[in-house]
Amino acid sequence: MNFLRKPFGYEPILKKEDLQRTPSKKKGPRASDWKSTLSRIWKIVDEQRFLLITVFFMVVISSALSLIGPLLIGTIIDQYILKGQFQNMAPIIISLIGVYIFLSLSLFFQNYWMIGIAQSTIYKMRTGLFNHLMKLPVSFFDKRQHGELMSRATNDIETVSATLNTSFIQVFSSLLTLIGTVIVMLYLSPLLTVLTMLIIPLMFTAMRWITNRTGKLFKEQQAAVGALNGMIEETISGQAIIKAFSQEDRVIEDFREKNARLRRTGFWALTYSGYIPKVMNFLNNISFAIVAGIGGILAFNGLLSIGIIVIFTEYARQFTRPLNDLANQINTVLSAIAGAERVFSIMDETKEIDEGKLPEHTKLKGEVEFKDVHFKYEMSEEQETLKGVSFHVKPGQTVALVGETGAGKTTIMQLIARFYDIENGEILFDGKDIRNLKQATIRSQMAFVLQDPFLFEASVYENIRYGKLDATDEEIIDACKKANAHEFISKLPNGYETILASDGSEISHGQKQLLSIARALVANPVILLLDEATSSIDTVTEVKIQQALELLMKGRTSFVIAHRLNTIRHADLVFVMNNGQLVESGTQQELIQLGGFYAKMLEQTDSFRE
Amino acid sequence: MKTVYSYVKPYWLPALIAFILMLIELTVEIVQPLIIAKVIDDGIVVNDFNTIVFWGIVLVVLAIIALICGVTNSYFSSHVAYSFAYDLRNVLFTKIQAFTMATYLKFPTSGLITRLTNDVTQVQNVLFMSLRIMIRAPLASFLSLLMAFLINPKVALFLLVGAPIVIGFLYFMVKKGITYFSQVQWRLDRVNRVLQECLQAIRLVKAYMRNEYESSRFQQVADSLKLDTTKALRIMEIIMPALLLIMNLSLLAVIWFGSNEVSMGNAQVGELVAIINYAMRITGNFTMFAFIIIAFARAKSSAERMKEILIVNEDGLEVATSEREEVKKPPIEKIGTIRFEQVSFTYPASSLQVLSDISFEINPGEKLAIMGETGSGKTTLLNLIPRFYEPTAGRIFVNGRNIIDWNMGELRAMIGFVPQKSLLFTGSINENLKWGKQNALVSEVRLAAEHAQIHETVESFPNKYETRVGQKGVNLSGGQKQRLSIARALISKSRILLFDDSTSALDVKTESALWAALESENATMLVVTQKVRTAKTLDKILLLHEGKVDAYGTHDELLKTSNRYQQIVRSQEEEQVGEEG
Repeated sequence: MNFLRKPFGYEPILKKEDLQRTPSKKKGPRASDWKSTLSRIWKIVDEQRFLLITVFFMVVISSALSLIGPLLIGTIIDQYILKGQFQNMAPIIISLIGVYIFLSLSLFFQNYWMIGIAQSTIYKMRTGLFNHLMKLPVSFFDKRQHGELMSRATNDIETVSATLNTSFIQVFSSLLTLIGTVIVMLYLSPLLTVLTMLIIPLMFTAMRWITNRTGKLFKEQQAAVGALNGMIEETISGQAIIKAFSQEDRVIEDFREKNARLRRTGFWALTYSGYIPKVMNFLNNISFAIVAGIGGILAFNGLLSIGIIVIFTEYARQFTRPLNDLANQINTVLSAIAGAERVFSIMDETKEIDEGKLPEHTKLKGEVEFKDVHFKYEMSEEQETLKGVSFHVKPGQTVALVGETGAGKTTIMQLIARFYDIENGEILFDGKDIRNLKQATIRSQMAFVLQDPFLFEASVYENIRYGKLDATDEEIIDACKKANAHEFISKLPNGYETILASDGSEISHGQKQLLSIARALVANPVILLLDEATSSIDTVTEVKIQQALELLMKGRTSFVIAHRLNTIRHADLVFVMNNGQLVESGTQQELIQLGGFYAKMLEQTDSFRE
Repeated sequence: MKTVYSYVKPYWLPALIAFILMLIELTVEIVQPLIIAKVIDDGIVVNDFNTIVFWGIVLVVLAIIALICGVTNSYFSSHVAYSFAYDLRNVLFTKIQAFTMATYLKFPTSGLITRLTNDVTQVQNVLFMSLRIMIRAPLASFLSLLMAFLINPKVALFLLVGAPIVIGFLYFMVKKGITYFSQVQWRLDRVNRVLQECLQAIRLVKAYMRNEYESSRFQQVADSLKLDTTKALRIMEIIMPALLLIMNLSLLAVIWFGSNEVSMGNAQVGELVAIINYAMRITGNFTMFAFIIIAFARAKSSAERMKEILIVNEDGLEVATSEREEVKKPPIEKIGTIRFEQVSFTYPASSLQVLSDISFEINPGEKLAIMGETGSGKTTLLNLIPRFYEPTAGRIFVNGRNIIDWNMGELRAMIGFVPQKSLLFTGSINENLKWGKQNALVSEVRLAAEHAQIHETVESFPNKYETRVGQKGVNLSGGQKQRLSIARALISKSRILLFDDSTSALDVKTESALWAALESENATMLVVTQKVRTAKTLDKILLLHEGKVDAYGTHDELLKTSNRYQQIVRSQEEEQVGEEG
């Protein structure tokens, strides 16, 4: 008994309440979920309607030909072999050769085109998912593991792919065969046909019982795969830390746990879905027995001829085969739905709000104003990161943001770039509310050098060109020279053509920062955001690029976060942040004279230096 | 070397049971038509009601047996398939954890991810199908063929005319399939790669409005994947129609030549008809056949890819070297010493020497600043101490013992490492800090956090130490991440601390408090820094230039002797001028 409840020690996954259907609540939306997911997939498949119709015709042809084949063979046996007339067989054999060639051809082409349709659909789903992902707000990514999202574009979509490749044709041809057989059966004996059909309600009940479980289990399974994928991605990306702290065993333990969850859900999903063909077979056998038994009784009473029973049992068998196939397909389709649902759930996430009414190419002068801005990150619950910040920056001014870590400096920059939307208050560019401007308007006139420099797996050229897609090689080299990156780039094996690896170690952190600065130089923005852009660069190099940075900031509205005072030196304004509030602002001189936070900070720096 | 499929072995018993259950089911299926014949011949034809009922009951009983076998089989084969996949994943993951950093450079993350998920699934599916349906088609075909031969070998032989072609064809197709499918898996790696990159760089993508650019980049890799998958599947799809054609033509050969045999009196008409029937049954199984072959080709290419991980040998793995020579371990001299002897280093697959001929020694409790321009090898030097990479020449001693003689775990446990990029993991702050010491007490966590100047900040969070950290610590500020990463290193009370420019995002006040707190740790420290004011407070300074030691000594010594150091100092003195004027 214990084995049945927990076979091989696998705890059951579905609880009683999961399976109970409160008719109005649970069943309704769930069924429509399936339907909507299927219809969404169908919509993409249907874009190739012409090919689809061609495939359908091919299926009709191959189904017809695979019926004609045996028929002709039957004719040969009846008309020639049994009668001993072997000499006139040539014409019918030749026509059979024709039938077989066309059968193989139609099979080939239906598969050939179907694969094309399926893979195009998959491609559209995948790129659709990616495109949508790129339009989601930054806050969406804060909450999710990379690997988990990646799993949706690979593992989940693959389940749809596997289904589309085969199920479509299978369902088609099964339906065709089914219809054909039923017609013949009705012709032979309506009564026996009805008897055979008796199992259909039973089949439905059984299928419902099974799919009610597998539907949920497949979803669980895909979620488990996603979690595992997330864990693998995170641990491999952070491998150096794991090694440094000798945490391999712990990570492996954690992996085993997630892996065990996958095994458990997978086991149950596979077991239940494995029921389908068996149960179908059983019901077929029963229906077989019914036909034989009741048919026998009828024949006994002289109501049916024996010949008909014999032929009918043969057809009854043919009837159940496509039914079996269909039942098996339901499983595959269910797993595809589980995968597709996860894909579509991302595609249903709300995009970054971009309802700006002003035309896209509004040229910005670079005036930035915050009016009583309040903001909190979604993950940090009640705590506000910005508690009513107001300031006004004129076009072309350079602002240095200083303050303790966590005071909200980076947050201000992220809000200027509109990575997040604010709760309360207003952010204005040239007096226009940020929400009235298009994302493209702001971001295309802005360059952001982020705290963590990132390089793509691409050549140096391409990495810098990210700042301006049509930049010439000369522009790039010029920018790199200004950013003091030219020297080390020249030493790379292929110079500017060297492919950089984002996780490779050949480029140092400081060098990555130099490249990020070059990237911003190329972009030629109106508003410039430098978030600790030179933190890992040695001071000698920093002095060298200082000129380039000054040049870069000249005539542009610039926001700079830096802890080194020489970076702040040239700012027109200094904003001192403390605990989410702007506590002081003014020129360096003013702030020193004020004798507040900033002055104290300078003192501390000096005293530390001595 | 174990192959991928050898991991099925532990489950031979349930696999065998599943197999036997499947055979019973198959037997029932084969017996069934015979019973139907009995019902018709002995019951219906002769109007024997009792016989009809009897055989009817037998039929139902058999059906129930088949159902029980089938359903039970479901349990056993799912168990085998999923346990195999589970073990395989664990083995692969454990192996990956043992990779050296150099080995990681050979395998892109995306490729490893695909191998552990998609590739394992491919193989697992084939295993599951083998235990349930796969054997059925070949077995049924084989039995039909056998029956045909028993009836009349001479006529049945015509069924095999196509056999040599079929074998050659299948061999060719499977080989092709394996190459094509490994190409497909490789393309999937690429899709994974681009996706991973864009997720990591999402802020950059947004800041530069490059979502369309990235979309077109993704479309390229997705398109290649589509094309290669389509190609692979289409090539493999030839198998079924081709096999069917060959078999059908063989059937015609049987009819044509068979009737000759019949007319010559070498065969009975009934025999010919029976053989034709069996031949038609064989062709009925061909869809399944083609399916099996495709699945096997696909699984084989996935298995090959996993093997690439399994065959990584000692050179690519971290373990063993020290345990091997347990006895010969030289004694430990002084706890907290680090000595470099003429150490040189070149990254694998690179010709650029990053470090050359580095020698220095630090005594217990001493603090060494490492300075130098970007790309001069500072980070690399630190990475050699916990053996992330092995020096290409020279020796490194920790506590007086060559690091290659240390047990890897022991060595790393002695070192508190704070990397340049403060990487945190999904989980709570508490969990992240405990990386340094799993069984750390609340007081220890708190003390480390206090020293790292992060305790107050954590306390100000609504959930304090239980605050969730997103992947890579996205919801914390740069300085907060750095301090958490320092706390994580402090918690184990290591006698050796390595700081890789780990205070760059800290403001001056916090940083000075941090260094003051670290005084009490009384540990040997190697500190990569850009700041003269930090370097000055440490005992010695090692100045690197293009991978070589440019100067080594105290601040005052270097100020006198090293031009380069003077230059650095000057670059930072200027800021003083700026402040005053």
